Parts: sequence; C-alpha cells; structure tokens
Amino acid sequence: MDYVDLAFVLMGSVALLSVAFTFLAIRTRDLMNAVIFSSVQSIAYALIYFLLMAPDIVLVYIAVSVGIYPLILILLIKKVGRLEVTG
Amino acid sequence: MRIMDIELVIFMFMLTVMSLYFNFAISLYGVVAKVNLVKKLIALTILQDTINIFTVLVGYRLLRPGLTLQPPVVIDLNPTPEVIKEFVTRSVDPLPQAFVLTAVVIGLAVTLFLTTIVLHVSRHFKTVNVDEIGRLKRGYIHEEAV
Repeated sequence: MDYVDLAFVLMGSVALLSVAFTFLAIRTRDLMNAVIFSSVQSIAYALIYFLLMAPDIVLVYIAVSVGIYPLILILLIKKVGRLEVTG
Repeated sequence: MRIMDIELVIFMFMLTVMSLYFNFAISLYGVVAKVNLVKKLIALTILQDTINIFTVLVGYRLLRPGLTLQPPVVIDLNPTPEVIKEFVTRSVDPLPQAFVLTAVVIGLAVTLFLTTIVLHVSRHFKTVNVDEIGRLKRGYIHEEAV
C-alpha cells in the first residue's frame, strides 16, 4: 500500500464516518447534540476537501462550518428551546 | 469474483461518491420531513455542503500512478513551457473550487438570514413547530374573517 492508496482509503473511511454522523444529526431529538454531530460531519467534509486537492476551500470551510454555524445555531437554540417535539 | 478485480483506489473513490449520495438523501429527508425549523436549518447546511463537494468532484481528476499528490499551484516563479505542460497534465480544475469558495461565503449569509427569520417566527408564534404554526395561522385567519 503506497501513499496514493493510503490517501484514498482515508477518504473512503472518512466519507463513511460522515454518513454516520449525518444520520445521527438528523435522528437525535436534542438540538444541541444535533449541532455537535453536524460539526463533526463538517470536519469529515473538510478532510475530504483536502484530499480532493482543494486546500484553499479548507481554510474558509473550517472557520465557517465548524466555527460560525455552531455559534449562531447554539445562540438560536438558546432562544428557541432545546428539545424538539415530534408529532 | 468480478468485484475483487477492482483496484483499491477506484473502490475507495466510488465509496466516497456513494457516501455523498447517502448524505444527500438523508439531509433531503431532514429538510422535507422534520417539523422543527431549527432541525430543518441544520439539515439544509448539510445539504449545501454535500452539493459543494459534488461541485468540487466535477473538476477533480483521479490520480494516475507515478504522479504525486499536489494542489493546483505552480511552484516555479519563472515557469518554462515544460513545467507548464507537466502542470496541466497532473493538476485538477481550479474553476469549480473558486465557485465553491464563493458558495461557502454566500451560504453563510443565507444561513444568517434564515436564522433571523426563525427567531422572529418563534417570537411571534411562541413555537418553531411548523404544524403548530400552520394551525395558529388558520386560527388567526378565522378570527379575522369573523
């Protein structure tokens, strides 16, 4: 297994991880947990961007999607209420 | 045993693309079927990022053996034609990456706008459940008519 194989194995496994965390973020009832799962999924996407040879997007994407989205969503959840009521 | 003949690189690349399709489907389900507006917003951000990765994949070139992993930049300050020819054969297309860089920033502005709308809706109706909001609005319209 050389360097190229290792990069692609990393990309596939990180993509599977992002599917799991997307499922958890949609499935969970607690909105604060959903925000945290969503930001973990964003870290996985940032690694995929880096392995797809777009390192300039990673610099913006990390700051926006791991920093600013959870910040504004947590501020919104503080105002709106934490538990999602199904029905 | 045809499936064992596929190279590991191709298999992992296809696994990535299939995972992105699954993410697209799950987040689209979240946007359509969830009743909470904040959960719809979270699913919308995931959907947007998945579409951005598909846009980057349009300009991506699958690696051939013998080439090294490099981003689309020329390192030489005064490139000769041989350097430029070698760069064109191995680099990815940078135009979709520039589009995605713009789309990320515009998506941030759109998400802030939608956050403000959700905040005002929750202050007006005291809830963010869309079924509840529809019921309350029908009640208001009925009161106006009476």
